[in-house]
Amino acid sequence: MNSVASAALTSWTLSARVIAILLIASAVYFRGWLRGRRLIRQEQDYLRLWAFLGGLGVLFLATESPLDAFDSLFLSAHMAQHLLLMMVAPPLVLLGHPTLPLLRGLPRRFVKEGLGPFLSWPLLKRILRSLTSPPIALLAFAVSTIFWHLPKFYELALRSPGWHAAQHASFFWTGILFWWPVVQPGPGKFRWPRWIAIPHLLLADVLNTVLSAFFVFSGRLLYPTYEAIRASRMSAQDDQTIAGLIMWVPGSIIYLVPALVIAVKLFSPVVPLSYTRRARRVSAPRVSRTVLSRLPQLRRVAQGAMLLLAIAVMANGWWGTQVAPLNLAGVLPWIHWRALSVLALLIVGNLFCMACPFTFVRDIGRKVLPAGLRWPRWLRKKWLPAALFVVYLWAYEAFGLWDSPWLTAWVIAAYFLAALVIDGVFRGASFCKYICPIGQFHFISSLVSPREVRIRHSAVCKTCQTHDCIRGNDHARGCELYLFQPKKASNLDCTFCLDCVKACPHDNVGILPVAPASTLIGDPYRSSIGRLSKRTDLAVLALLIVFGAFVNAAGMVAPVMMWEHGWHAKLGPKTMPAIVGVFVIGGAVLAPLLAVLACAGFNRLRMAGPEVTRRFIFTLVPIGVGMWAAHLLYHFAIGWGAPWVQVSSVPTWLTSAQMLVLDAGLLLTLYVAWRVANQYTRKLRSALALGMPWAVLSCMLYATGVWILFQPMQMRGMLH
Amino acid sequence: MVTVFGAPAPLRVGVADLSVMVQGAADQNSVLDAKVRLHLKRSSATNVFEIVVPASHAAATNKLLYAAHVNLPSAGKWNLEVGVTRGDLAASASGDINVLPPEPPLASHWLYIALVPLLIVLFAANQWLKRNRRFRRFRVRP
Repeated sequence: MNSVASAALTSWTLSARVIAILLIASAVYFRGWLRGRRLIRQEQDYLRLWAFLGGLGVLFLATESPLDAFDSLFLSAHMAQHLLLMMVAPPLVLLGHPTLPLLRGLPRRFVKEGLGPFLSWPLLKRILRSLTSPPIALLAFAVSTIFWHLPKFYELALRSPGWHAAQHASFFWTGILFWWPVVQPGPGKFRWPRWIAIPHLLLADVLNTVLSAFFVFSGRLLYPTYEAIRASRMSAQDDQTIAGLIMWVPGSIIYLVPALVIAVKLFSPVVPLSYTRRARRVSAPRVSRTVLSRLPQLRRVAQGAMLLLAIAVMANGWWGTQVAPLNLAGVLPWIHWRALSVLALLIVGNLFCMACPFTFVRDIGRKVLPAGLRWPRWLRKKWLPAALFVVYLWAYEAFGLWDSPWLTAWVIAAYFLAALVIDGVFRGASFCKYICPIGQFHFISSLVSPREVRIRHSAVCKTCQTHDCIRGNDHARGCELYLFQPKKASNLDCTFCLDCVKACPHDNVGILPVAPASTLIGDPYRSSIGRLSKRTDLAVLALLIVFGAFVNAAGMVAPVMMWEHGWHAKLGPKTMPAIVGVFVIGGAVLAPLLAVLACAGFNRLRMAGPEVTRRFIFTLVPIGVGMWAAHLLYHFAIGWGAPWVQVSSVPTWLTSAQMLVLDAGLLLTLYVAWRVANQYTRKLRSALALGMPWAVLSCMLYATGVWILFQPMQMRGMLH
Repeated sequence: MVTVFGAPAPLRVGVADLSVMVQGAADQNSVLDAKVRLHLKRSSATNVFEIVVPASHAAATNKLLYAAHVNLPSAGKWNLEVGVTRGDLAASASGDINVLPPEPPLASHWLYIALVPLLIVLFAANQWLKRNRRFRRFRVRP
């Protein structure tokens, strides 16, 4: 192979966004396909699967292969790309009969509650039926084909990536509409007779022939850009002729072969499909459950690994170079650990507490320490960790913890000592429950996690006499945070230690899926916590974590830093901690206080008391977690390779990803607020009035978050 | 023959992808074993900006081209000179490119902000349909 050909064949675009979309679509289809096979097995099952995946594969080839890299140089490459998008990918996707598998592959509740009303909406059904009817589908396909081949619009798509994407999307989706009457993928019976597909295909072939003949025989150069570039010896006119031939010959074959197959089938005797219903549903071994059931054993391994890392971080922090990006204490805790623990919260749950190295040392220490006293009753609230969390926000900025490996090492050492001493003296996990600000952050944030440690069947717990999940037994200790599983209604105060999973003799406790933030919608009595509407301390802690997200991120953007340094210059040296203190107290304490007072004032007009206010405060948790995730994603994206890799610029996808995370947080907050408001009143107007102040507050937080994300940010934890 | 492609179009302050296609003058075949260097220069009343950066196949999506990611610090007319060397042969081409001020972040990310009201409208439609369905069921009940 010569060098030009080999260079051409290695020119893959590989856009992360397209690949992610295709992978997600494949995964959803495959999941739905598997579920469908459990219910009913059909002979064409595998054909459908391969057809759908093949269709996505063709999409991948069209948009990511060298065809895409060369479409701006050669019209023929562009034409081949369009052929794949319009005539190959859509029929293959439809041959996978995608509707049911895709619906089955999505979360059931989302399909039922989210999509269900739309899918059963008569107007939408009528619209979809019309769009897939042969005349409309053919018209849409023809309009899209002609429109985008008009020189003015074709050149526009060549110049602008946005219009280029729109062109490809319209080719693919009108292709789906066009091929629908041909493939008739269902579900349900298609209302038009089968023979209609034959004139439908023939008419499309006529259009295709006319258009390609124009390309071949017009003698006019349609798209001057290709002449201006002249990427090879071949003239732009010859390139146009080849493009026309590609459109003509393979295009006609693609239309005529199905028309012929359908005609043959129409004149053949009908062979009924054979269905094999399974005698009984066989449940395949569930991999996730097998893995999760081993987590209690894996926990010690994870804790051991985290302990070794913590020792390495402390040693490097005390005795290593004090240049933060070159020191483990400047990189691992502030860049990797923070981002990965929030990512774990969003994907699984509170995995940091599960692998906590501090409690590992505490557990070892308890073999010699008494641990017999009860934690003082007056301290059994969250005020102390709330105050410690504010101190953390302040110290992080005021002393530049992220920039000081030495201080970071001391903070970690202090943490080990505090966990050892407190839990060495007091019973249970008093340190985790009443002191640790990291733990509180994870408890509150894990309210939006998609998994929860909870019981599988309440009926099993009703018959249980021993209550090993809280009392413990010979195999495992009971919950040290006093969470009684049958009455535990969220991840609050749960360290994912899995003692209850190990202790339950009925195997009735596990890490089970839960809709994110759904546990905030109700206000049941929660074991060891009570009702959220009665817990001012927890509400304040949640509020600090929410507003703390914005304060912590704002502390590193240019306008805030300039404000701080301006005051520093005016007030003199050694005043920075005080200035940062004013900023942190103002942003994380006074601002939420005023905002909540204002919202509560509006709610009071509707006779809503402090219990309602406390409930609504918890609805802000998703947007707070969204902001933490967006902020920490920034550090992780630019500093993940430190201290080994020097990053010179911010990845182009980063702001988009941050915006998406923040969007998700806002939408979840608004949804939960809406559901909470509906619990107090059945009237639409009253519910809107009750939730509106909180919706406005969350939108203001979102606007603040967007503003922060758009500001120039300090590249912390990296050499630059 | 040297052709330069720039992305985004039009070029703006910030990171730009400048790709160079080098072709033989006689046969117009792509030349793949040359060394390509981009030299960008802009003089304003107060500052002189100068960027020299090598372009390579590794940085290019289309491996027939030589590309470089250049951080353009200011808007205005820049002079771009492309230097190509291949063995003992050397050639260069130059021209002016116009760099516009950076796009406001809102303009480049409006889609992500618009996503929120769009999904809210869809949710409102979902709730409306649910209420309607409940109401219909209630009406038909004997």
